[in-house]
Amino acid sequence: MKPAPVALYLCLFGTVPCSNSFSSDMPPAAEVCAGCHGVYGQGLEKLGPRIAGLSATYISEQVRHFQVGERRNVSMHTLAMEIEGEPLAQVANYFAAQSVRPVTILRRGEKILFTDPAERLAYQGDWPRLLPACVSCHGPSGTGVGDIPRLAGQQADYLRNQLRDWQQGRRKGDRDGVMANIAGKLNDDEIRALSRYFAELE
Amino acid sequence: MTKSGPCPAISPNLNEKAAVKRKLPAALITAFNAAAITATPLAAQEILDRQEPLPPPIEEMHPVIVPRPLERIPTGEFGDKVRLGYRLFVNSQLLRDRYVGNDLSCVNCHMDAGRRANSAPLWAAYFAYPAYRKKNDKVNSFAERLQGCFTYSTNGEGPPVGGAEAIALSAYAYWLGMGGLMDFYELDGSVPAISDEELVKGGRREDFPMPVALKKALPVDKRAALAGRGYPPLQNPPEAYSPERGQQVYVEHCLLCHGADGQGFASAGVHTLPPLWGPQSYNWGAGMHRINTAASFIYENMPLGKSIQLTQQQAWDVAAYINSRERPQDPRFLGDVEKLRKKYHHHQCYYGQSLDGGEILGSEAFADFPRRGD
Ligand code: HEC
Ligand code: HEC
Ligand code: HEC
Ligand code: HEC
Repeated sequence: MKPAPVALYLCLFGTVPCSNSFSSDMPPAAEVCAGCHGVYGQGLEKLGPRIAGLSATYISEQVRHFQVGERRNVSMHTLAMEIEGEPLAQVANYFAAQSVRPVTILRRGEKILFTDPAERLAYQGDWPRLLPACVSCHGPSGTGVGDIPRLAGQQADYLRNQLRDWQQGRRKGDRDGVMANIAGKLNDDEIRALSRYFAELE
Repeated sequence: MTKSGPCPAISPNLNEKAAVKRKLPAALITAFNAAAITATPLAAQEILDRQEPLPPPIEEMHPVIVPRPLERIPTGEFGDKVRLGYRLFVNSQLLRDRYVGNDLSCVNCHMDAGRRANSAPLWAAYFAYPAYRKKNDKVNSFAERLQGCFTYSTNGEGPPVGGAEAIALSAYAYWLGMGGLMDFYELDGSVPAISDEELVKGGRREDFPMPVALKKALPVDKRAALAGRGYPPLQNPPEAYSPERGQQVYVEHCLLCHGADGQGFASAGVHTLPPLWGPQSYNWGAGMHRINTAASFIYENMPLGKSIQLTQQQAWDVAAYINSRERPQDPRFLGDVEKLRKKYHHHQCYYGQSLDGGEILGSEAFADFPRRGD
């Protein structure tokens, strides 16, 4: 399946808006991405995760990871092979600049007692397992910081798949295996609960 | 920041020892619990005199203790102080412009909110003060020691010893340490509340209000020797440390989080990924500016989560690299870098030195305790 037709089919079947309704400042190379990630990169359930507001460096890097097989995903692999160089930079900048739904910020240290074990892990980690708090890298409320991606408001299924992919060696390429190491220490229940927790933050 | 107690060393059998809890006779425990309620050392003394002696004290290092989970902080006034201490320690930016002058929080260097062994944990520190400290040539109480970290590590100004902040941080440290010791010696009950005046002094003194059972188990001269204190010192590196090699280590293993310019990254008003040098980092008087101290910290804690273990050589080199950049002035500066270097900087550091013909480090240092409005 070639990239252009994918977007076309999707728009014909009414899943996404067709080209004429694409955002005017969208670079041409991004139109195909919009087929699965949405015009503003807001993510489309079952088709593709939100990529709006991620750092441009992170977006380009991940596309490269799909190209070299460090991340595996049928739809992304086909698509990623088609884009590189300047168009990729433009696409990455475009999606990086899109805004995301804001969430209420809870800073580390503000809350001490947690009833939800997922929230406790997110804010205090579990140091006997050498597991730092998720927010100590992903920022308060998992809003992302530097080149570390935003988790807040991301699709729960997507987050869960990523953590599982790391565990099963299907996602690689993170520097020094920083996140692979963390994912490897989580059990299934924790993965499910954390994915839901970050996805549902408002 | 010279530590007054013996340097903590990790001996291979330490962990095993830690696993074996010291049993106290049941009668003693009952006695202690009674004492805990009244919480006066005198009452405890009277009760103890009728009890059997404790097991003989520990050899050199006291095995690692494990602080209680935060859920066990008691409700009420004393618990409120402990909770405030935790909050200030983790989000020190609450004290920005009052006592904190950079983007750092205590938790950035004292992992797991000051609870992690070998990461200069508060529970080990609490029982090591009052202590003589070379840095200001006098006996320091616990509160005075933590004032030091405000002045140097957070490039600010120590909160007053009698103020709510110093009391709260002392209460948090005391609660962590005392709870850990009580659990270790199998003493039930909540950590006894003690007065603010007692809290800020620290636990290494004869008149510290401590359950007699613990007093015997941990005599004053052993209290600075809780295993896990400080950052475990590294051996000297095989090759002399080198900022040039350190830069490569930095690019490969640190840049992702601390940034190409070492300034880290902020979001939602929090400097989640903290700056390692420059105007918003620790100053030239902080313990972390010493290459050996930074090397130990980095070896033990970085990259955060330890997905890889740096070699000792890499830790020394990268410590040399980050500490060969300009940062805020040593607060003891009186106008002459060379004089200050001669007076205070006899350790492994680059203050007052020039690398590769560059500016003398310290000569273009950033401001001490800059206020945000400035
Ligand atoms: C056919 C649907 C489809 C199209 C078209 C598509 N993607 Fe994706 N994309 C996905 C899916 C599905 C994932 C999630 C993959 C996974 O689970 O690992 C993904 C993941 C990503 C990620 C990783 C996000 C993260 O948070 O790590 C990036 C970046 C990305 N896509 C960029 C693009 C770009 C740029 C384009 C256009 C050139 C594009 N995608 C086109 C389906 C698509
Ligand atoms: C030591 C720092 C660190 C900690 C702690 C950390 N992460 Fe991450 N995380 C990262 C980095 C770095 C990435 C980007 C990985 C890459 O480049 O592929 C990441 C990526 C992720 C992703 C993929 C997001 C996406 O858009 O594809 C998920 C999901 C995630 N982390 C979840 C978590 C959870 C849940 C926790 C807490 C249990 C956590 N992380 C703790 C550093 C960290
Ligand atoms: C830039 C890193 C850094 C920051 C930020 C920092 N500290 Fe420290 N702290 C250190 C270092 C390094 C030492 C140990 C010095 C040594 O080994 O000589 C230390 C030691 C201490 C000690 C004594 C430990 C002992 O065992 O004697 C206390 C108490 C302390 N810090 C409290 C604090 C408080 C409170 C804050 C927040 C206001 C804080 N620190 C912020 C690096 C830091
Ligand atoms: C995955 C992200 C990550 C990587 C990679 C990383 N750090 Fe850190 N570092 C952090 C975070 C987050 C903190 C603060 C920890 C906390 O608050 O719990 C920190 C704290 C520090 C501190 C103490 C605070 C300060 O600003 O002075 C130093 C020093 C440090 N790191 C040095 C390094 C060095 C050197 C490397 C490379 C060997 C490195 N780090 C790699 C995330 C990282």
